[in-house]
Amino acid sequence: MDHKKYQGNSVFIISLLLTLIFIIWGVFFTDNLAKVTNTIYEGSIDYLGWVYLGATLFFVIFSIYLLFSKYGNIRLGRETDKPDFNTASWLAMLFGAGMGIGIVYWSVAEPVTHYTTPPYGKAYTVDAANTAMKYTFFHWGLDPWAIYTVIGLALAFFQYNKRLPAAISSAFHPVLGDRIYGPIGKTIDILSIFATVFGIATSLGLGAMQVTAGMHDIFGVPNELFVQLIVIAIATVLFIVSINTGLEKGIQYLSNAAMILSFAIMLLILIVGPTMTIIKVFFNTTGLYVSDFIHMSLRLKPFGEGEWIATWTLFYWAWWIAWAPFVGMFIARVSKGRTVREFVIGVLVVPTLGTCLWMSIFGGSALEIVQNTGNHDLAKYITKNVSLAIFTFFDYLPLSSFLSILGFAVVAIYYITVADTATFVLGMLSEGGTLNPSNKIKMTWGIIQSALAAVLLLAGGLNVLQTASIAAALPFAMIMIVMCFSLLKGLKSEVNLQKGKKRSVQHY
Amino acid sequence: MKLYLVRKGQFVYYSNELHKVYGVKPMYKKSVHLIRLRDLTQVLTNAASVERYKPKELDSFIFNHKAYTLSKDRKAEAGDYILIHNPMPDSLDTYSLNEIEVVETVDKQGVITSNSHGIKHYEYLLMVPGRANDSHPIDYLDPKGVQAENLNDLDPDNTNITSTSLVPSLGDIYKKRDSDASFESMVVAMKDRTVYLGGGLEISQEELMNTDKWEFLYNLLDK
Repeated sequence: MDHKKYQGNSVFIISLLLTLIFIIWGVFFTDNLAKVTNTIYEGSIDYLGWVYLGATLFFVIFSIYLLFSKYGNIRLGRETDKPDFNTASWLAMLFGAGMGIGIVYWSVAEPVTHYTTPPYGKAYTVDAANTAMKYTFFHWGLDPWAIYTVIGLALAFFQYNKRLPAAISSAFHPVLGDRIYGPIGKTIDILSIFATVFGIATSLGLGAMQVTAGMHDIFGVPNELFVQLIVIAIATVLFIVSINTGLEKGIQYLSNAAMILSFAIMLLILIVGPTMTIIKVFFNTTGLYVSDFIHMSLRLKPFGEGEWIATWTLFYWAWWIAWAPFVGMFIARVSKGRTVREFVIGVLVVPTLGTCLWMSIFGGSALEIVQNTGNHDLAKYITKNVSLAIFTFFDYLPLSSFLSILGFAVVAIYYITVADTATFVLGMLSEGGTLNPSNKIKMTWGIIQSALAAVLLLAGGLNVLQTASIAAALPFAMIMIVMCFSLLKGLKSEVNLQKGKKRSVQHY
Repeated sequence: MKLYLVRKGQFVYYSNELHKVYGVKPMYKKSVHLIRLRDLTQVLTNAASVERYKPKELDSFIFNHKAYTLSKDRKAEAGDYILIHNPMPDSLDTYSLNEIEVVETVDKQGVITSNSHGIKHYEYLLMVPGRANDSHPIDYLDPKGVQAENLNDLDPDNTNITSTSLVPSLGDIYKKRDSDASFESMVVAMKDRTVYLGGGLEISQEELMNTDKWEFLYNLLDK
């Protein structure tokens, strides 16, 4: 017992120190931090782009393989376990966890930005609009969900079928054996915590910008860094109160409310927006996406500047990977009792369709509005004020103030639920995978993640958020590749185990 | 008029016996779905015909044919049954009020159940097998109206009830463990405490329940 306790603490202390060093660096040497992250950013364009692209494409192929493989019938949990949630609410939860703030933040801004600066071709043309939608589908489609499928499945399988702790290192049991409790396992856990803290800080940073933008649009509060920091501070106080007073159940109700509200907004825009255009965009872009998938997945610019790919594709891949331990943990928690096949359909296929639909509705309407204005001013304005994008978009629709308030509510609720759940996940990861993390450790992580989000915003806003997550996610991308093989090994042994059981009940 | 809300997990009395609410389905006429704790039988009813009871320390009741007393004397250990009477789930937890679970591992903050739920030490009451002498039986709302043979169950000295942990049911397939030859058989009939297995074998219920001699494989109807 003492040995285990020691292990939990060392993971917590080392990952905490690493993050603290980073925060102190950001507060006292802000310029230096911005410079270093920039160097890493440029390095990632020149040297590491192919790693991210290759790894992510591999995860997509691997997930599709799992869908059709003989492992599809393995149940996560005992043979007799039933799912905790019915399928509809399970799918809604997966969607909310995987995309959350990001999808609200980018669904208008991304297609419009691509429209003004397309990866190739001429800007402000119909072709540019189609390319913009295609790349938006690409960045939010199969790839992120494949990343979540791999990590969520590995966590669920080793937790429920092999009865190992709820830590990332448990997924390496088939490869490492009991060394998962030793220094190698600890290193894996520390790296996963480091990536997670950055992934969450990026989301919280985006969330704070979005909440501030919403208040600016509705109440006329200045849209400035100062207000963003206040938003972070208030949210931190709120979720620390909820950790200490057992209001967690309330957080669960809030997150359900956010999900229902976002579906309501989506339907409302489908009805009041340019419905026919949306439907056409959905069909047309799905076709483009499917037929150009391989090209987009491996696209690098060997004989030119890869700036666009680095700011968009690589940033997204890194962000999804940094986000993955958090989302994976959540997905694993809600997926007990599902079979592997159900899991892959539920985590890879259905949410991909969902995000594509969401993007068609928001992006398609936004592009229609932008093109209808007849000049480039609106598109340029949205590109310049990315965090205001969704509210600017609402202003051009009927019922705009109602939509703005709904949108603001969704973003604010997502922010607080993500921050709250993140403290729980970080607590679990840093205490050796226990399902009962102590409140002190949860609170520590709560303060740390908010501080990090604040520091990243101070150091230069979105760009620093992007570069920091690209840097932090790289080691974890490597870990995830090994995880695929480890998972395969584990599934294989499970198939043999279940075969053995079957034989004993056959009558021979 | 009863004005409290019936919620999932609550202990309630229905026709004088202790039940647990496992679901509330507002769209149904019989919206309150209960399970009788004594033998896990399902009952559908409405809110007007149930009476709420809040279990507390030293209450004793029969759960799935076995008597238990609720206790706070010690922390749970691996293998213990617990009743989650004060649920404070974290944001990713999926357990709810009054769930009965088996402890798998114990750590400083709480226990982890075989259902992969992390439960803090202040969230549960331990279910100690048997009825403690100073316990308060809560199986019946009004013990006066209960037949005498059932009342025996409430007696702390009555150990009979704890020994019959499981009962075989028709269609159960058992495998004989204490012989070299492979022998599997199905329960085809039961009379009193005698079980008739396919192949003409007659044995007592106690013998079949002895896990050293017979291993339960599966029930024909489960597949």
